[in-house]
Amino acid sequence: MPRSSDFAILFDASYCIGCRACQVGCKQWNDLPATETQNTGSYDPLVLSAQTWLKMSYHEGLDKQGEVYWDFTRTSCMHCSEAACVEACPTGAMNYRPGGVVTVDQDWCIGCRNCVQACPYDAVHYDEEKGVVQKCTLCHDRIANGLEPACVKACPTGALRFGTYGAMRRAARERVEALKAEGYDEANVYGLKEMGGTHVIYVLLRHPSTYGLPIEPMTQRHKVAVDWLSAGIAAATLGTLGWVIARREEVSGGES
Amino acid sequence: MSGGEWGIYIVLYFWLAGFGGGAFLLALSQRDRWLERVGAWLAFLGVVVGALLLVIDLGQPLRFWHLLASFRPISVMWLGSAFLFLDGIALFILLFLREWPPLLVWVAAILTLLVVGYTGVLLTATAKPFWSASPLIPWIFLASAGTTGAAVLALFGASEGVHRAAYWLAWVEGALILLHLVWTYPSAETAVRALLSGPLAWAFWGFVAFGFGLPLWLETRKKGLWLAALLVLVGGFLLRYFVVYAGQIGYVI
Ligand code: SF4
Ligand code: SF4
Repeated sequence: MPRSSDFAILFDASYCIGCRACQVGCKQWNDLPATETQNTGSYDPLVLSAQTWLKMSYHEGLDKQGEVYWDFTRTSCMHCSEAACVEACPTGAMNYRPGGVVTVDQDWCIGCRNCVQACPYDAVHYDEEKGVVQKCTLCHDRIANGLEPACVKACPTGALRFGTYGAMRRAARERVEALKAEGYDEANVYGLKEMGGTHVIYVLLRHPSTYGLPIEPMTQRHKVAVDWLSAGIAAATLGTLGWVIARREEVSGGES
Repeated sequence: MSGGEWGIYIVLYFWLAGFGGGAFLLALSQRDRWLERVGAWLAFLGVVVGALLLVIDLGQPLRFWHLLASFRPISVMWLGSAFLFLDGIALFILLFLREWPPLLVWVAAILTLLVVGYTGVLLTATAKPFWSASPLIPWIFLASAGTTGAAVLALFGASEGVHRAAYWLAWVEGALILLHLVWTYPSAETAVRALLSGPLAWAFWGFVAFGFGLPLWLETRKKGLWLAALLVLVGGFLLRYFVVYAGQIGYVI
């Protein structure tokens, strides 16, 4: 669980107008080059990459009352408390820093990309030029100097807020209560339980799946335990099978 | 490499480690001195060449020693590297000894099994639905290590027993792959479609026809067993290829 004194970002989908100022602010502060994209309705990059650490995603559909909705959400690193990338990293280059921030030590990363495969939010990516991975740093270089993260600074509507985890969680819960009172029955907070509690928490108007967010993602340690177990059963079953068949024929001289 | 996916080096490594390890383990079941040595050599080469491929594939190959300077057993990547390293040592010692001490044979066999097994766990313990939605990739890789391992041993004159084991493991492998595709379809539709009729169809159907169907047919007729063995090896490669690439479809630009 995050500590209440940790750093946190609150994204409030009910205030977001989908202007992508955060996305641009991130690129500017972190000196990330533009990526060449094709027009697929817009020129927005389709996925996160080593050059795009934050991007807004757009979801439209019909709600239960048959009303059209068009919702926006943030996609970026969630700064998990039980981070899949950290637990997948074989060198410790990806690790927790003070305040719950998850970053990669670029001088220690070997570029094996195991973290890329493990992240349930697809938030960490390989930089071919540098030979190491890159992701959102929660602007630890800014917050260490008393500034807000660049995305929060750029947001014109207050959909992004930065503060202590305790304060952001309280604000999120209050906002959900207010939204429910306004008639948004499905309003909810995302990130309180996911991956051990994330340091980026979302206020959502609808069920998280509407926004393409993973529902109850399994933590890495859980996965690893289950998968080693599966491999163990496989080795016992298939090993016995193969061994017995191979031996039996040997002993009986292939009579069958 | 485009976009840093796990690519051809990883595929080659999985394949080499698979058939080398499989050959060693199956040879041990035969109590045939010569075959055991052949198996140990194949497993050793698989481990050494495989480890080199893994290092080349790193974004920072010269930093590979950072793996050895860390202790992170929860990371399948770290644990696998440790198994690989220890297996290499155990097999190296075996190859030097005239008489094999039973204990060392056991250690080498278990480490080899762990190396083959971890390659599957590495893919399953990810957030990529085609790899992780079913727990079957380790099963498929182990079965394929058996069939491809038997195939190389066949080239070195393995007995009837190895052929039989390969034959039945091939059916199990085929069934596991089918089950995996059905199981992962709901969450990894794009990947499954890419295999059946998309950009990876050549590898998938190539495997089905030439790495699975044809060798089984030859094996039942007891004809062209050399050809069958070669086809199974090629099939094992195609299998690793389509599994590794299908998992990353839609994620890497
Ligand atoms: S969102 Fe992904 S990259 Fe960020 S901390 Fe969690 S697992 Fe790591
Ligand atoms: S790419 Fe770097 S940060 Fe990611 S798992 Fe490998 S060593 Fe760790």
